[in-house]
Amino acid sequence: MTSTLAPTGFTQESFDAFLASLDEPEWLTELRGSAWQRFGELGMPSGRDEEWMRTDIRLLKLEKFSLSTAASDVTTPPALLAEGVDLGGQSTSVDSHGTVSFLEDSWASRGVLFGNFEAVIAEHGDRLRPYFERRLVDPFKDKFSALSAACWSGGCVLLVPKGVRIDQPLHTLSVMSNGGVDLSRTLVILEEGAEATLLAETASTEQHGGGLHCGTIELIVEKDARLRYVNLQNWGDGVWHFAHQMAHVGEAAGIQWTLGALGARLAKVNQRVALVGQDAEAQVNGAMFTQGKQHLTYNTHQHHKAAYCRSDLLYKAALQGNSRTVWRGMIKVDKGAQRTDAYQRNDNLMLATTARADSIPGLEIEADDVRCTHGSTSGRVDDQQLFYAMTRGYTRQEAVRMIVTGFFQQVFDRITIESVREALGEAIGRRVRDIGE
Amino acid sequence: MDDFLAVAQTDEVDDPGSMLVEISDRLVVLIHAAGHWYALDDICTHDGGPLSEGPLDAAEGTIACPRHGAKFDIKTGAALTMPATKPTASHDVKVEGSQVFVRLCE
Repeated sequence: MTSTLAPTGFTQESFDAFLASLDEPEWLTELRGSAWQRFGELGMPSGRDEEWMRTDIRLLKLEKFSLSTAASDVTTPPALLAEGVDLGGQSTSVDSHGTVSFLEDSWASRGVLFGNFEAVIAEHGDRLRPYFERRLVDPFKDKFSALSAACWSGGCVLLVPKGVRIDQPLHTLSVMSNGGVDLSRTLVILEEGAEATLLAETASTEQHGGGLHCGTIELIVEKDARLRYVNLQNWGDGVWHFAHQMAHVGEAAGIQWTLGALGARLAKVNQRVALVGQDAEAQVNGAMFTQGKQHLTYNTHQHHKAAYCRSDLLYKAALQGNSRTVWRGMIKVDKGAQRTDAYQRNDNLMLATTARADSIPGLEIEADDVRCTHGSTSGRVDDQQLFYAMTRGYTRQEAVRMIVTGFFQQVFDRITIESVREALGEAIGRRVRDIGE
Repeated sequence: MDDFLAVAQTDEVDDPGSMLVEISDRLVVLIHAAGHWYALDDICTHDGGPLSEGPLDAAEGTIACPRHGAKFDIKTGAALTMPATKPTASHDVKVEGSQVFVRLCE
């Protein structure tokens, strides 16, 4: 099988060819059509916009990328998060095309839907339609959300029916070939009282591979449901990564959302959590490790829409080389969201004087009986800690590695899934080995 | 170091004037002022602003960031005024005939 490219980039001709290659319900085609129209109308984001002024994408040439109408024949890299885990299901896509998918019969028989998007849509389109039409992620927000809404393919869908508790993690892997395009989408729905753990990761076939990812993640956690969602972004360091991610957490429901960001040349991610029912809870964990000229921007948004909700966000980043991270966090509390308890924190460990971290926490509070706090730190490795470790026989590099591992420990301690803790620790540990300063 | 690469024709940039060029996946502002040519990274070291969109003062020999007004020496890239404190990279420029060449310096 070889990669088949639509005529030329993201043109009307290529979009028409893409639609013709799909076998989808009409309502979905209409949703795609309206987003495509908006994609054509919107210009590229400008550095004059507050949201984009620290993320320079002038070197991105969208016209150099094309819609792929068939999967590439590539060797799939190993799935880090799935190593040694007894999985209840797994789905894989390559360059936005589903390739492998399975779900244990014990879960399928209880009504769980899981797998590559194309297959699930073909069979259960009507069941999923209301969730598509909720449009958690606004397809008209910017050019990238519109592109994703119009041209998404690949990725996975998980629907857990009311009261079903899946005690085996599910896993999904999106793979991109060098120079490829990944427009995958993730949709997770946990109905009332359901529970599930989804481990999602992305990887390139080559460490220094390039390409374009423009994706959407939508997580719907209904009343009393519990979702643990892990997302490891491990693209090659030449990949442009744009993502809109949104979770809706209902009454007395909870989400633990852990994010690892290691790859990509430039990443611009909007990660939003909305607590829409009373007593909802969200814990958001982020671990970033950058090197070379990587630039990762994460905009996080904790939106308290209902009373008595709790949210706790912790982002940690270690930076090497000339890399840069930008974190902009916002806690938004609506007028009716009294007794909110919200926290956000971002810590940055600077491993080189040439790296840069921008940390911009924010609060917007309309209620008058809340507890909302935030914190941010940026600093170098403590010389005294280094000195102490070296007096105990460690080399400087070993000492730095140990200190970096300790820095991330606070995030790892919050991750209750052992395989995830080990995979993130191992991936970060590999990067620390090359510290030159 | 890389060799000189042709980036523009001399008549493409007024004097005084500037032009944004892409060289080896890098954004560089090419500056023509008082008969001389200069090239700087198109990045304000304070906040990443695009110098190519800022005002050029040929007499003073500076270009300013459009966001917060930090000024940089067009010859050396040195940061001359707050809020920038670190220099932006300066590159070698030569003109042969009607062709302007730039060599990235780092």
